[in-house]
Amino acid sequence: MIKTIAIAGKGGTGKTTVAALLIKLLSQKGLVLAVDADPSTNLSQALGLPLDDSRTVGRIREKMAEDISQGRLSPTIAKPEYLFSKIVESLAESKGFDLLTMGRPEGPGCYCASNEFLRGSLDKIVKDYKYAYIVMDCEAGMEHISRQTTRDVDVLLIMSDPTIKGVTTAGRMKKLIEEMRSNVGKVGLVVNRVRGELSPEIKKAIEDTGLQIIALIPEDPDMAGLEMQGKPVTELPPESPLLLKVREIAAGLHL
Amino acid sequence: MAGEFHADIGPQYEGEVIRKEDLYIEFGGPKVAHKFELATVKNPDEIENEKVEIIGPDIGDLKPYDEEKGGGSYPIAILVDVAGGELDKDAEAIIERRIHMFTNMVEGWYHMNQRQDTWMRISKDCYKKGFTSLRELGEIYILLYTSEMPIIEKIQVTIITDEKKVKELLPHALEVYAARDERARKLNDEDVDTFYGCVLCQSFAPTHCSIITPNRIANCGALNWFDGRAAAKIDPEGPIFAIPKGELIDSMKGEYSGVNAVEAEKSLGNYDRVYLYSAFEHPHTSCGCFEAIVYYIPETDAFGVVHREFKGETVIGETFSHMAGETSGGKQIEGRLGTGLQQLRSPKFIQADGGLARIVWMPKELKERFKDALEAKGLYDKIASEGDVKNVDELLAFLEKVGHPWLKGEVQLPT
Repeated sequence: MIKTIAIAGKGGTGKTTVAALLIKLLSQKGLVLAVDADPSTNLSQALGLPLDDSRTVGRIREKMAEDISQGRLSPTIAKPEYLFSKIVESLAESKGFDLLTMGRPEGPGCYCASNEFLRGSLDKIVKDYKYAYIVMDCEAGMEHISRQTTRDVDVLLIMSDPTIKGVTTAGRMKKLIEEMRSNVGKVGLVVNRVRGELSPEIKKAIEDTGLQIIALIPEDPDMAGLEMQGKPVTELPPESPLLLKVREIAAGLHL
Repeated sequence: MAGEFHADIGPQYEGEVIRKEDLYIEFGGPKVAHKFELATVKNPDEIENEKVEIIGPDIGDLKPYDEEKGGGSYPIAILVDVAGGELDKDAEAIIERRIHMFTNMVEGWYHMNQRQDTWMRISKDCYKKGFTSLRELGEIYILLYTSEMPIIEKIQVTIITDEKKVKELLPHALEVYAARDERARKLNDEDVDTFYGCVLCQSFAPTHCSIITPNRIANCGALNWFDGRAAAKIDPEGPIFAIPKGELIDSMKGEYSGVNAVEAEKSLGNYDRVYLYSAFEHPHTSCGCFEAIVYYIPETDAFGVVHREFKGETVIGETFSHMAGETSGGKQIEGRLGTGLQQLRSPKFIQADGGLARIVWMPKELKERFKDALEAKGLYDKIASEGDVKNVDELLAFLEKVGHPWLKGEVQLPT
């Protein structure tokens, strides 16, 4: 059975870092579809892949709409098939995983048909490529989950920093996902950059959100070094605390 | 099925994907500039039956993809020439599309896209098993074509990997594709038995159903009749479905019994008639997603058109979004029609009301985008835009000055 893991959180909580590490880790166990669903961050860079802005799903969809409206697309080429093939072309293939970049969200106009084709294309890609895991790096609004352009999610990890503000935001995201029609299996909280113990105030705030703590990740000195050198997080040394914690998370969730 | 080939053949391999890690080499695809596939119906005497010709380096001669150095992507042209007493030009596209299916039926081969976008991959395993020549692929095509399409009496396959030759032949292929598209654009509602319906927008407009015909694109502009046919074939029970068009009740207004029946069902009984070619009587319902609105201007007894991207006020002082609020929601509103923009090119566009000749205002951008269609009817200079007039009084003066054919009474309504 394919497992879908979504990682969400506000900017600066290290969610892209954790997503990249989880992708690398899981790709040793089975083929992973990595989905960058946050236009403001950069999962490809974290994974050490070249960035190509023209190859995002958003750009493909916009271009298709433009081509239709200018009469450039052949009337006989079925759009569901066309969109599927362009999305396959946009997959960045790497060792043990493929990266799909969603890009900018929709603009004005009607997206009923294109989102339907997008859902269909993604389902077909997942089926044909026989992925064992899907790992999604989501923006805070979790648009692709809420619009159901992506399939059901087995595990949603909400990332936070050890601040009251961060935890409250995480709580709001939990509420948001509960109000959506989509199916989410397990929802848990990961607090990053924890120094020592959590303060009683933060513990109380977490309790108020009703979120279950999946992991507390300590500040990782190796990470700061990599960030300064602009290297992908996948170059972290094997014994770095961050990497050990991500391994623990995967094991704890039986991934 | 295929004892003499170095790969197994069958429908079970159709969903097979070849990722870069398993790739030996690829032909065509996004990294290659020149590639295409083309089927041509020829005279029997032009075809040497069951001949396979390879022009250019073969699989075994080419450098494979390398994980470190990359490469391994090459140009290709696949030419399938066929003859048969029952074959005509219209069969070419169908025969050509089979290249996709037949290639995918070969174990270790993967085919994507069509026409000048074609893309094929061969797996390392397949090459190792001895599949080192494109000749074998050509022979497989011939086997599958002759066994699955008995209408084909003679066939020959030419596979070209020589870049110069592919490049030289590509313009001809593009001409053939363009001519095919032109024929498709000329398809009329009378030429088919089946229309398609789309209820994708019913979450917003529960009584709305887009009727998609050769002469009518969906309101959102995203789906034409060919898309409807493809989608309904993949998932007949899905949100895009076939409508047997039934009896033609009124050819001028575009009323069909099959469409009326579907409208009654999908609008939850709110409407039981649709005139596909009118904005006045039983006009098509509008979801919320239309690309443009056709709106009646009583003072001129004619219509304006405004599209979603136009942010200013129309000649009647209302903006697109204001009008969209009133037009949407799955209602039939006389004198207000949500529409896909390409509809302006349809020969049946509000045919019952006078067609394009009944349009008196549209934004400059639309006038430019559809300049050819407007000029063909001598209307380009007769239609006002935001630069010409600011209100209906000015519009009436403008129409008087340019001598708009509708206001001069030159437009005959069909009867």
